Amino acid sequence: MDYLQTFAISAAGMAVERTRVETAALNLAQAHTAQSADQPAFQPLRVVATGAEGFGGLVRAGLESVPLPSVTVEPSGVPARLVHDPGHPLADGRGFVAYPGVDPAREMVTLLGATRAYEANVAAMNTARTLALKTLEIGRST
Amino acid sequence: MSTDAIQGLAQHDEVAPPIAPRMDPDPLTGPSFAQRMSDGLREVNQQLLTTQVDLQKLAVGEPVPLHELMIRLEESRISLQLMLQVRNRVLEAYQDMLRMQV
Repeated sequence: MDYLQTFAISAAGMAVERTRVETAALNLAQAHTAQSADQPAFQPLRVVATGAEGFGGLVRAGLESVPLPSVTVEPSGVPARLVHDPGHPLADGRGFVAYPGVDPAREMVTLLGATRAYEANVAAMNTARTLALKTLEIGRST
Repeated sequence: MSTDAIQGLAQHDEVAPPIAPRMDPDPLTGPSFAQRMSDGLREVNQQLLTTQVDLQKLAVGEPVPLHELMIRLEESRISLQLMLQVRNRVLEAYQDMLRMQV
């Protein structure tokens, strides 16, 4: 039935937003983990969501298919933040400790945007559900 | 009244007369109504059982994606409602037959 497809589309959108929230949470959790300056351990992550897998993928999937969003998590490549703290056990020869280059403001904005987008997906799914249930009321005598 | 201004509309596909849907499979040669009913019942039952298994998984603490579980719950609800409506129609038709004067 066609409402199942709408549900699957909304579910794919919700999965993308969940991944964004999880990635932002991981970045925030790792924001203040110290690492020695010469061997950085954690890279801030970013979520890359793409709409479809190119022209070839669309041709292979056929006309009836819906291009669902696919999501990958990649290191963002932001350089580590160096803090001068000579007493720290992980400080290097010059007294610097490296922290991941996480931008808390950016992560908070990501969280807010993901929340709103998730709510939008839930609203779309609820609308499809309401339509399906309303359809079943056709011809109800009471 | 002159309809020259809207004559061009007839050339568009959007206002073409609807094509009657083809019954597939043919109701005369395909499976009987009772067969279809029991098939549909089995399908709905299977969906409810799947949802129940998912709920049990959630209850024992397995990592189930919550939104997928909720969506499957809603799918089960709509399937059940559809089944109930079909049942109501069948019952209504049966009672109409029963009340028929001979």
